[in-house]
Amino acid sequence: MIREIPGFQLDAFGKPIIGLDDASLYAYGHLVRRTEELILDLFSRGLLSGTTHTCLGQELCQMSVVRALNDPDDVVLSNHRNHGHFMTYSGHFTGLVAEIMGREAGVCGGYGGSQHMAFRHFHSNGVQAGMTGIGTGLALARKMGKSKAIVATMIGDGTLGEGLLYESMNLASIWKAPVLFVVENNGIAQTTYTSDTIGGTIEGRGQAFGLATWRLDDSAQDFSQSVANTIDEMRSANRPGMLVIDTRRLGPHSKGDDLRDEQERKAIAERDPLMAIGKRLSSGEREAIEARNAAFLREVEAEAIASPEARFAVVPQHSLRSVRTAISGTQPAKAANVRGAINTALRDLLASDENVVVLGEDLHEPYGGAFKVTAGLSSEFAGRVISTPISEAGITGSGIGLALAGKRPIVEIMFADFLSLCMDQIYNHAVKFPGMFPDVDVPLVVRTPCGGRRGYGPTHSQSPENLFVSVPGLTVIYGSHRHNVGQLLVDTVKRWPNPTIFLEHKLLYGEAQDPSDYSVIAPHQDDLGAELFPTIRRGSNSPDITLLSFGGMLPVVEKAAKRLLDEEELEVEIIALAMLAPLPRQTLVSILSSRSHIAVVEESHHEFGVSAEILATLMEAGYRGKIIRIGTPPAPIASARSLERDQLPDEQTIVSNVLDML
Amino acid sequence: MANPIHVPRVNNNDDEVKLVSLRVVVGEKISRGQLVAEVETDKAVVEVEAPNDGFVLGILANVDDVIAVGSVLLWIGERADEPIPVAASSNERATTTGQPTAKARQILKEHGLDANAIPASGERLTVDDIERYLANRGKDATVPAHAVPRAAETKPDIPGELRDLRSEERAMIATVAWHRDVAVPGYIELEYDPAPWETYSKAFSERNKLLLSPLLSLMSWRLVELAKETPHLNSTIIGNQRYEYSAVNFGFTVQAGDTLYLTVTRDAQAMDEIGFVNAMGEIQRRAATHKLGPQEVQGTTISFSSMARWKVSRHIPVLPPRTAIMIAHAVSIDGRCVLGASYDHRVLNGFHVVTALRKLSKPGNPV
Repeated sequence: MIREIPGFQLDAFGKPIIGLDDASLYAYGHLVRRTEELILDLFSRGLLSGTTHTCLGQELCQMSVVRALNDPDDVVLSNHRNHGHFMTYSGHFTGLVAEIMGREAGVCGGYGGSQHMAFRHFHSNGVQAGMTGIGTGLALARKMGKSKAIVATMIGDGTLGEGLLYESMNLASIWKAPVLFVVENNGIAQTTYTSDTIGGTIEGRGQAFGLATWRLDDSAQDFSQSVANTIDEMRSANRPGMLVIDTRRLGPHSKGDDLRDEQERKAIAERDPLMAIGKRLSSGEREAIEARNAAFLREVEAEAIASPEARFAVVPQHSLRSVRTAISGTQPAKAANVRGAINTALRDLLASDENVVVLGEDLHEPYGGAFKVTAGLSSEFAGRVISTPISEAGITGSGIGLALAGKRPIVEIMFADFLSLCMDQIYNHAVKFPGMFPDVDVPLVVRTPCGGRRGYGPTHSQSPENLFVSVPGLTVIYGSHRHNVGQLLVDTVKRWPNPTIFLEHKLLYGEAQDPSDYSVIAPHQDDLGAELFPTIRRGSNSPDITLLSFGGMLPVVEKAAKRLLDEEELEVEIIALAMLAPLPRQTLVSILSSRSHIAVVEESHHEFGVSAEILATLMEAGYRGKIIRIGTPPAPIASARSLERDQLPDEQTIVSNVLDML
Repeated sequence: MANPIHVPRVNNNDDEVKLVSLRVVVGEKISRGQLVAEVETDKAVVEVEAPNDGFVLGILANVDDVIAVGSVLLWIGERADEPIPVAASSNERATTTGQPTAKARQILKEHGLDANAIPASGERLTVDDIERYLANRGKDATVPAHAVPRAAETKPDIPGELRDLRSEERAMIATVAWHRDVAVPGYIELEYDPAPWETYSKAFSERNKLLLSPLLSLMSWRLVELAKETPHLNSTIIGNQRYEYSAVNFGFTVQAGDTLYLTVTRDAQAMDEIGFVNAMGEIQRRAATHKLGPQEVQGTTISFSSMARWKVSRHIPVLPPRTAIMIAHAVSIDGRCVLGASYDHRVLNGFHVVTALRKLSKPGNPV
């Protein structure tokens, strides 16, 4: 229940209606300022959890854009300095104060704190330019849905140093996506003046990307009206834009870090646009407003303090959403090759669900992607198979935005090696939303070819699954030619509403997809997702050696197994995972506990990797047999085929290691 | 000079192509530009042409083979009788020629056999070779703990049901078969005065503050010491040679419920007396709860069986496979103490056995 704000009505969707008259602007601005002062007071009394960043002095700047967003689907994306945006969007004062205090009554129950809040179409995050790609995706989804809603992505002048911002501005420009990049230019980053950190001009940046660009000053008398006009203009043009607002920060960046001299701080106080509006009111009216606000905030404070400390009923052990029951159709188990199986799955997904959007570099006809996986799709599904600029982080962020908007984005990254460019979007954004906010799903799928044996060298040959399996909340699927790869992809997109990396080994693209004599190991009920992404096996039930592997290693493992059988007369079992994270632990323990010798074979740099986790799980379950890990040593993968062959585990490596072990 | 024609690359992402047709044969005279073969990927078929005139010297693939891009498809030469160069392989690694297969090595180890004593039918010694060798000698090649009788027996005419045997029961069949078919068993026994052993055991127990009587473990330890000083006791016969074990893997029978285990305490020769007594206590505890690992129930080299608790006057144990002696200890209802031994007469004679039993009847270092 949101406490009623004295003097203000809410619109039909629960957003406060703030008029452009002096009394309304002063009343709401004063309320924002007093709330920030209350937060600082609570901090000094030791009642805040962590730290906070206030918008003192920037109240009108923060209110101006948000108050003008009057479409219920308009989006506000903010950053670490978000309180003014949040209060203007939500009117939820107790929710803000209690959230920062770490209390149950917080708008996110204390999970997000000052920097990470979610409320309807409001989202904030503590990584500076982190939300800009997401905003572009949200705007693209609105454009695709013929909505007139727009996205306002709030950044500060300090964010102008981060590259993702420019990827996002470029993507918004070429997609004509209605996102407004709002630069709140207070002239200083934490302690460093903007004049020392940017080359060129701020508007010049927007203009360079072809964005409609405005620059306003929050101390101008008609400032809020001008911002409202800008929003109207942007909405009717249905194009992206950049709005630079010159403003001044009255307080420190956070706390105790204001190094500006007395004279400068005095000048900022004299400029204070909120006080200027207040002075235009009669002293009687002003004092009445201030008294009204003070009484309201006493109630907010009491309510927040009365709320109990936030506690988990049960500490969450993961943040994954359960399998959906959505009908996803059946893909053929056999296919001429894995490339074709994935292509067919993408075609079926696009044909059966208009929310499916495929993004990636060079996907269009007649090229069809670097590995031809999207061949023939861009013409048949125009507008939903989108060739993008070389902007891995930007398109991953856009994918998150599309997913937040209810789309089913599939992002193709040309080489898995480039996932490092997407890491912040995955690690700090895609998995954080569902982890922190129970109502927010991010069903994003990032497909990417990985692996070596093609002589592509150190930055085009890697198997980076070891990095990604350790990201909490991220799913890593890595099928083999013995799995139904098309079905894995369809089920990931339609039935697994979690951020997912979908790995495809380059060498498997040309392999026939054929389950052969493999059978599915019965999934354990405690293993989330294990029924969708099966672990399979073939070979002896009482083996001399169990070879556990996945993905592109499987053809190599099969060759080694054949040699161990034919040449060494050993009983061999092969087990192949499709889901690396979350690891189907109980399923693996149930079958592996009885095995005497287990070799985990992977192409990845295997120190601290998938094999280590699997074997640690087994050991914790009381396994007493012999184990070995076979993988790639921690050195860059060479280009020369002969050198690469020496580095990556091949059938001879496997055979030799197994014989040594026995 | 012979020149190779390499398998062409059809596109960037296919490292292997399928040979779909060969248009020439070895010895054929060909001319530059002539179609010699066709290769295919899932996207395209590409023709392979002769780069110059000459003769086909050799073809290195068959139609329908999947072949590596860049490998030699065929050799052409100026004359039809030129030799084909022998390629230096860049990927040769470990060679296993002449060695037993891994599975064969496991079986050799389990049976204590020497690979050199067994003729190999091919380049490498295989499981079949060992089984053939053992069959000729009436032995079963399989591991005792998992041994299954090989001879097919028909079911009796009388109605009944077949029940699977537990692994210990199968092991017992293997043991009995070895005793009957391989060893030449003998049995000797003597009575002894229990007093010195009882005194020694009591003193040992008090010194080490033991809760349970260590008597049988101490007598076992004496046998370990005898095995160390008399290698005959800890050996078996392989072919025409005696195989003296370097380890003393000590077998000791434990009745746990209705299961009879022959527990094996490995490398007893490396222990001291108290270490051995403790190890025996530990393995007996695990046997009692059926928690023995595979290494704890196989590979004995010398053993000891006591039926003192059953108050029988005599028992003649079956010899565990590939051992020379098993001690049989008994205490009859009237307190008469007996030390006997089943032994393989191929290894030991009566003198050896009696000497050992006399030594065993008294502590090595009396109190």
